[in-house]
Amino acid sequence: MSVWEVVELARHPDRPYSMDYIKRLAPDFVELHGDRLSADDPALVGGLGRWRGRTTMFLGHQKGRTLKERVGRNWGMMHPEGYRKAIRLAHHAARFGFPIISLIDTPGAYPGAGAEERGIASAIAIAIMEWFRIPVPIVAAVIGEGGSGGALGMGVADRVIMLENSIYSVASPEAAASIVWRDNSRKVEAAEQLQLTSREIVAMGVVEEVVPEPIGSARADYDAAAAALDEALARHMEPLLEMPTGQLLQHRYERFRYIDSLVRAEPGFGPKID
Amino acid sequence: MAVIDRHAKKVPIAGGELPEILLPTNCPGCGVALVLAQMREQNYVCDCGHHFRLSAEVWIPIIADEGSFHERWGDVRSHDLLNWIVPKRYEAVVDELLAEGLNESVRTGTATLDAMPIWLAAFDFGFVGGTLSIVAGERLARGMEQAASTGVPYILVCASGGARMQEGVLALMQMAKVNAAVGALHDAGVPFFSVLTDPTFGGTAASLALLADVNIAEPGAAIGFTGPRVIKQATYADLPPGFQSAEFQLAHGQVDRVASRTELRPLLSHLLEMHVNP
Repeated sequence: MSVWEVVELARHPDRPYSMDYIKRLAPDFVELHGDRLSADDPALVGGLGRWRGRTTMFLGHQKGRTLKERVGRNWGMMHPEGYRKAIRLAHHAARFGFPIISLIDTPGAYPGAGAEERGIASAIAIAIMEWFRIPVPIVAAVIGEGGSGGALGMGVADRVIMLENSIYSVASPEAAASIVWRDNSRKVEAAEQLQLTSREIVAMGVVEEVVPEPIGSARADYDAAAAALDEALARHMEPLLEMPTGQLLQHRYERFRYIDSLVRAEPGFGPKID
Repeated sequence: MAVIDRHAKKVPIAGGELPEILLPTNCPGCGVALVLAQMREQNYVCDCGHHFRLSAEVWIPIIADEGSFHERWGDVRSHDLLNWIVPKRYEAVVDELLAEGLNESVRTGTATLDAMPIWLAAFDFGFVGGTLSIVAGERLARGMEQAASTGVPYILVCASGGARMQEGVLALMQMAKVNAAVGALHDAGVPFFSVLTDPTFGGTAASLALLADVNIAEPGAAIGFTGPRVIKQATYADLPPGFQSAEFQLAHGQVDRVASRTELRPLLSHLLEMHVNP
């Protein structure tokens, strides 16, 4: 499979979205809305459900299935209110000691004038900083597109895992092509240069694990994909639940503080394109 | 009363002599013919208020007292981790910029400002667009950690296009790395002042740049998350004049003050003093 084919799989309109997983992980899920400041961002769903016998806070980017829903969900691109809602719900989880699961599936934060007017840059910056202070275990999973700062704003966690056919990138291939060549049609080349596939990301030490998808990718079998994700999330969550809070936060700090230690130890390190 | 009148003390607008920079013949703001010696005396601000972009090499003597800057970790360099070859080998790009005398997109070290100790970090837009790289992130995070543990105030001068494409997702991760360190600064109660210069965008704006205790923007500086070209491409929106300017960000609550570069150093000195001697 070429790199571009992986990108297309990660973005496939039939690929399971956050709610497809959340409904299977916690059938009693109750959605909670709003940032308590001005709005509710439908690009991010959040709420509580009982997962493996424990009340858990679920957060996830939600793309739409139909055109109407896509527009309503803004294609999973969050506005500033989404990040404020995420942190509001994270504080809720912290008050009651609920662990947090964050599912990442976004092309990026919304690149529009309104988002700029309402402070998208500082909303993401504050979210990233606040995640380091949330005193409950957090496991994040990239289930489709992990695009840029918009994804990282939901991706500061104690463990981060990726589904096999998902991508994680500093910018979408189109944006990277536009930045490097001022020509967003060179997205295929950009995708190859960015090393954004799960295999490459795990080799760089940025995520802990790649979760295999069913034959024919996650869209072929939602139940099997959800079962694989469920098992991996639980395996990463369990040791965190035992950890004293101070140690948990220290580990989270160090996880990101030294996230590039693999490459710094060995300057030539890095998966290479053949 | 034995109260020191802070305003009576005159703080020079620059800590030392500024290096000469290449200026256009005429000011792009007002068209007047520029005199290098005069511009240098005015921190490279034209009489019309146009602020010229400056490299870290010029910013350091503006902020730091003469001879007080001790650069740290200046010997670490970026390497090509992703085998980035188009349009040019990343390793060769870095080699060329280093040969030009630039030293990564962020330079940092300790200094004094008006005799008060500070940590200083200055972005260099000339180095791959001032992009956040592993080396930049490491210099920033280490400095902030040291500032947090020693209680020395941290001053940041931003000029950046965002995260560096050529370092891929590892560049993205620098946003989390530096924000963790900003959190440590805040938790330690160490003052952090950020000076936002033209341009400050993308991953830098969405990480440390806007998280300071006081955000100060230069007049006319473009500050935002998504650049205007990409916004137009993505949404076909017509952006009004002044969109994402420093004044726009002031009106939208993102910066505390817009201050001319000729008032910046006295302002920083005053803020430092109020935080250090409350």
